Amino acid sequence: MEEPRIGVYICWCGTNIAKMVDVEYIAEEVKKLQNVVVSRNYKYMCSDPGQDLIIKDIKENNLNRIVVSACSPRIHELTFRKALENAGLNSYLFEMANIREHVSWVHTDRKEATEKAKSLVIAAIKRVAFHDSLEKRYVDINPATLIIGGGIAGLTAALEIAETGKQVYLIEKKNSLGGNLAFVDLSYPDMNSISQVLDPRIEKVINHPNIKVFLNTEINEVFGYVGNFETKLFENTKAEEILKFGNIIVATGLKPFDPSVIPEYSYGKLPDVITSIEFEKMLKSGIIRTKDGKKPKNIGIIHCVGSRNNKYKEYCSRTCCSTGLKFANQLRDALPDAGIYELYGDMRAFGKGCEEFYTQTSRKDIVFMMFDQRNDLPKIKASTHNRDFNMIIEINEKLSGEELNIPVDMVILLVGAQAQDNAKDIAHAVGISMCGNAFYIERHPKLDPVATTTDGVYIVGSCQGPKGIIDSVSQTRAAVSRILGTIAQGSVQVEVTTAVVNEDVCCGCQTCISVCPYTAISFDPENNVSVVNEVLCKGCGTCGSACPTGAIKSRHFTDLQILSQIEGIMSLELEEI
Amino acid sequence: MSNEPKIVSFLCNWCSYTGADLAGTSRMKYASNIRIIRVMCSGRVEPTFVLKAFREGADGVLICGCHPGDCHYHEGNYKCLRRYKLLKKYIKQMGIDEKRLRLEWISASEGKQFAELANEMAETVRNLGPANIKDKLDLFEKTKSVNEGENVEKEKMEAI
Repeated sequence: MEEPRIGVYICWCGTNIAKMVDVEYIAEEVKKLQNVVVSRNYKYMCSDPGQDLIIKDIKENNLNRIVVSACSPRIHELTFRKALENAGLNSYLFEMANIREHVSWVHTDRKEATEKAKSLVIAAIKRVAFHDSLEKRYVDINPATLIIGGGIAGLTAALEIAETGKQVYLIEKKNSLGGNLAFVDLSYPDMNSISQVLDPRIEKVINHPNIKVFLNTEINEVFGYVGNFETKLFENTKAEEILKFGNIIVATGLKPFDPSVIPEYSYGKLPDVITSIEFEKMLKSGIIRTKDGKKPKNIGIIHCVGSRNNKYKEYCSRTCCSTGLKFANQLRDALPDAGIYELYGDMRAFGKGCEEFYTQTSRKDIVFMMFDQRNDLPKIKASTHNRDFNMIIEINEKLSGEELNIPVDMVILLVGAQAQDNAKDIAHAVGISMCGNAFYIERHPKLDPVATTTDGVYIVGSCQGPKGIIDSVSQTRAAVSRILGTIAQGSVQVEVTTAVVNEDVCCGCQTCISVCPYTAISFDPENNVSVVNEVLCKGCGTCGSACPTGAIKSRHFTDLQILSQIEGIMSLELEEI
Repeated sequence: MSNEPKIVSFLCNWCSYTGADLAGTSRMKYASNIRIIRVMCSGRVEPTFVLKAFREGADGVLICGCHPGDCHYHEGNYKCLRRYKLLKKYIKQMGIDEKRLRLEWISASEGKQFAELANEMAETVRNLGPANIKDKLDLFEKTKSVNEGENVEKEKMEAI
């Protein structure tokens, strides 16, 4: 092995790291380490000048190993690997030490934080010395795309991709397309008919020569990797057919919150307490009536049902406020004399045109009342005192400070959004992660909000977090452009950090074969050794841990690399090294 | 050098490392005793890594993987669990308190749980006091190398 010539770069991340970690001290200290040729600190290593610094040093000082000590490798490892490539160095001769997420942001004592950061940097230096160059591997991309979910996001994705001449498989678990929007009457704030937007799209998708739609179909397990996925479909639980595709869009949407768990609202007990979904259906039918068939005289619209309350869902469902305003407008048009009450925690009419929509709505003789969304929900109670109303809403009105009783004969609950019941099954099938609320996690919340940590799998629409039509469609188009980009390239780079067998050391015990979750290892009886199929191997390294002779090596996570890292992480006194 | 215990932690890339990152992005505060090493899967954590950490002076070792059923590689965490159970018994025989080794499941969304776990582990190990494995072995090897007149450590390194 050539003598390592290591360049070390400690990032300030503005004040994010530098405030809690003495970056200059660490950069000075590690200069003393063997094989460290250059050691610098810089304000933003990920910036262009920061990367240029590395590239320049590699060329001028003949560096062959690089350590960047900055944020999480999950954020910028690829950025720096590219910089190495630009300097003509193999991108795997690089290691990152995470001194932001794991040090400066979580510790409060500067001395302790600096000491810990130093040990992480030393560990990275010791590890990188044993890094090997790895050759990139490319695989061809199957131009077909699998889309899971036939709501507005899934339909948009299907059409966008199919229009470019590529095959699309669209899977929907229900027996019709359109998702939650299929129940919605008008869109806000423009008050246009949803079905005029949705129905032609559904029609087009069903008849498109490049789109194959599977209704009543759920997905069990997806095999393969980016560019070459495969799944067996089950339509009504009978095995249907095997599909092959290169990319996956998960567009499984959301499920409306079930308000019957909130005792204050008596949903399910009082017949004229209905959800926003039920009211949309009423609007679509054109007839607004109470259960007794009467025109309602006083209507309450309650916001944040199930949302923004730690007892139920902590998050904001994003579409309810404007939906409530939309309902108020539609009710005012249909029932000019009715009393309309909007009961809200906070009015969040965000987005283009929505604040204006709020102002316009408030001029239409609609009563707005505020309540404490977290601690004091209004209570809906039955009333038998008067024929004109059968319910009373008791509210502690926050702005006036008064306790008010509002007589109503219809209450609309603006139910929030929650993840689908089968969110976990889908996550398992395609290999993506979920947050605590069972929404899918994007690769990077800001810089890569449509991709996931599994290459070739994209998340769009409300399965990633509650959102309206505009955001869902934008996100979908972003994912589509990413997919079309990879299809246009024809091939995609795949991980090369697979396992490899040293046949001279392998004793043929086949322990590795028994632990491999991907049946990626087979036995060669002629030579009495195990053989790794690199296409099937995903590089988990379980075989490496089980091998009694150390014959199987997990590339980029070798014993030597990790053991050196442990040595480095524990070497606290530099003099000892 | 501070007297604070040192804990080496092996986190799987997909769930636990991301969870630890989340603790960072959420600015949760926890004890600085934990030093994290990333592996792709908890199934990659060889018993050797754990023993090496104790050998190098760690007072505790924390392994974190995805929750059962959530492993990115289907079942690597189960492999890890099996090895862990055996390893617990083994280190006890070696005179290392088994509480110094811990395996927990941390998902990508459990930043808070990770921060709490880090504090808990630091507390446990602090109460146990220094593990002293390194000092014992260093002394043993020093005596041995003086006796044999050769550098055993060097030979060991070459063997790796």
